[in-house]
Amino acid sequence: MAVIAFSTLQSPARRVLSVKTFLPLLAPSIVLTLFFAVPMGMMIGISFQSLDGGAPTLASYSRFVKDGLVLAGLGRTVVMSGLVAVCVTVLAYPLAYYLARSTSRWRTVVLALAIAPELAGVVLRTYGWLIILDDRGFINSALMWVGVIFEPLPLSKNLFGVVVGLTHVILPFGVLSLLTSLQGISPNLERSAQILGASRLAVIRHIVLPLSVPGIISSLLVGFTMAASAYATPALLGGAGFKVMATMVYEQVLFYLDWPFAAVMANVLLILMVGVAFIGSRLESRLNQKLHL
Amino acid sequence: MSTIDIELHSVSKKFGANRIVKNVNLAIPKGKFVSILGPSGCGKTTTLNMIAGFESPTSGEIRIRGTDQTGIPPEARKIGLVFQNYALFPHMTVAENVGFGLKMQGRSREEVAAGAKRALKSVRLEGFENRYPKELSGGQQQRVAVARAIAPSPSVLLLDEPLSNLDLKLREAMRVELKEIQQDLGMTFVYVTHDQEEAMAMSDRIIVMQGGAVAQEGAPADIYGRPRTSFVADFIGKSNILPISAVADAKTGNGSWRVLLGTAGMPIMAARMPGLVPDKARFCCIRPEAVRLADAAGALDEPANLLTGTIQKVVNLGAYLEAWLLVDGEITLKSMIRSSRLDKLAVGHRVELAIAHAAVQLLEE
Repeated sequence: MAVIAFSTLQSPARRVLSVKTFLPLLAPSIVLTLFFAVPMGMMIGISFQSLDGGAPTLASYSRFVKDGLVLAGLGRTVVMSGLVAVCVTVLAYPLAYYLARSTSRWRTVVLALAIAPELAGVVLRTYGWLIILDDRGFINSALMWVGVIFEPLPLSKNLFGVVVGLTHVILPFGVLSLLTSLQGISPNLERSAQILGASRLAVIRHIVLPLSVPGIISSLLVGFTMAASAYATPALLGGAGFKVMATMVYEQVLFYLDWPFAAVMANVLLILMVGVAFIGSRLESRLNQKLHL
Repeated sequence: MSTIDIELHSVSKKFGANRIVKNVNLAIPKGKFVSILGPSGCGKTTTLNMIAGFESPTSGEIRIRGTDQTGIPPEARKIGLVFQNYALFPHMTVAENVGFGLKMQGRSREEVAAGAKRALKSVRLEGFENRYPKELSGGQQQRVAVARAIAPSPSVLLLDEPLSNLDLKLREAMRVELKEIQQDLGMTFVYVTHDQEEAMAMSDRIIVMQGGAVAQEGAPADIYGRPRTSFVADFIGKSNILPISAVADAKTGNGSWRVLLGTAGMPIMAARMPGLVPDKARFCCIRPEAVRLADAAGALDEPANLLTGTIQKVVNLGAYLEAWLLVDGEITLKSMIRSSRLDKLAVGHRVELAIAHAAVQLLEE
């Protein structure tokens, strides 16, 4: 849709590009160059530095591929991000579907509630989960008080806690990416399927799900990349027992002062996310083409 | 076996405080092409949605093949529906679209394929099985939508303004074709439209709706020739709708009524309307083609009113001339006259007119 709107705006007369056209882009270009492109370039440069100030070296890269602890952290990051992406998408789907179809006056309220968590800071929400999931947190205290358990359940400082916290933080983004896709499916398609004898479940399975696959992919992508790059939630809910790439980069920079190695880890994380995003968006555009021909 | 496929008994529908459908009673006979005709907002689409089961009546009862449909969801009603925008599934091929209903019935793969092929054949769209909807023209998409709706062999097919997205030429061709498909299948078609020409061209029966209620119901010729209200007379075809001041029983022997036209009270003979209380009539309708030149062949073959008119304006429409005539100093009549009479119709000329008694229809309101 956006593409069509854009192409109709481009009348032939406007094709003549002048300096004026680019003038409004000047300020954002400077900001992006200074605060995004330059630091990125520096990161790549730093990753080849040797600690003793010698010639550029691949030493930090070779250390990365040999370091079992770091590779385990990379694996943990991938597993965690994958789980968060799936949880976000599964939980966001029914919510987005309701928001796309409802005409009730509660729709706006539900939409506001779905987005509202974004208004509170990530750290605040993560502390909220800590209060609930901690060894002396709400769930464990309540269960121990009732007498169901005698030892606290391991709800935080592990994969479970981090996935719960991140899913909560990222959920609104999943809802928004699915909502766009689900709103593009005409309700008349569902009605057509229904009058042809399809039950509610069959309508979802044969019509809504296949047509919303591009939205599902973009929700998975958003979930994966946001989880992989998250720092505060894994740091607070994962603690020392659950280290991911983002927290490990932080440790290298602040505790070990090994900037080249930190830069290598950051670059690997970046390549991972760019790779996932690339494959995902390729898949999405190919599906879009297939679905709408 | 019941000969009535769909019955509506005192069906009303409210959305909030708005009464969209008001106490509608209908009986749609089996195997007929029935149109629900009316301007937008008259409640025709809501009525269709209630028959399909997407809306439930606020009060009243809908019966399909004799069974009360209260609480029965659309998927269990075994009826077909064609939407205005076709609503084809974009991710399925033509064959998958058309076979969807049969697949939902749990038929085998072979039965689904055979059923889809049969339905595509009846809409003359063989060989398109593996195309996707977006690869087809508007007219072809329309045929796929019809094929998809008829493939599971429903006894009733509902059509919601299915031709309004097509251009005029295609629309006229599809009218003929839809009628042929309906007759081939012997299926009951309920066709919702705001286009009176479409309804006239295809229907066995027309139900005219106005403001949520049925204004008139009958065969197309009946509705056109004997409109009961000024709304129906005005909505269907062109007409002169003239105020009348009094109706008197003329007792002329041929059963005509004598009415006084306009404020001046020019007497004119009108057709006797069975079931109409003469005192209640406030208007009469004269179709433009019934206002004829008195010297035209056959103009005086039946009892006719003879009037003198002054020509005010003439518009040449090719085959016909549209002429505005001032009669009795205050009444303007629109008439349709064959183009060969152009020589007689100079503006300002006075001409003798003949209007058959039977062509003057009294209207209830």
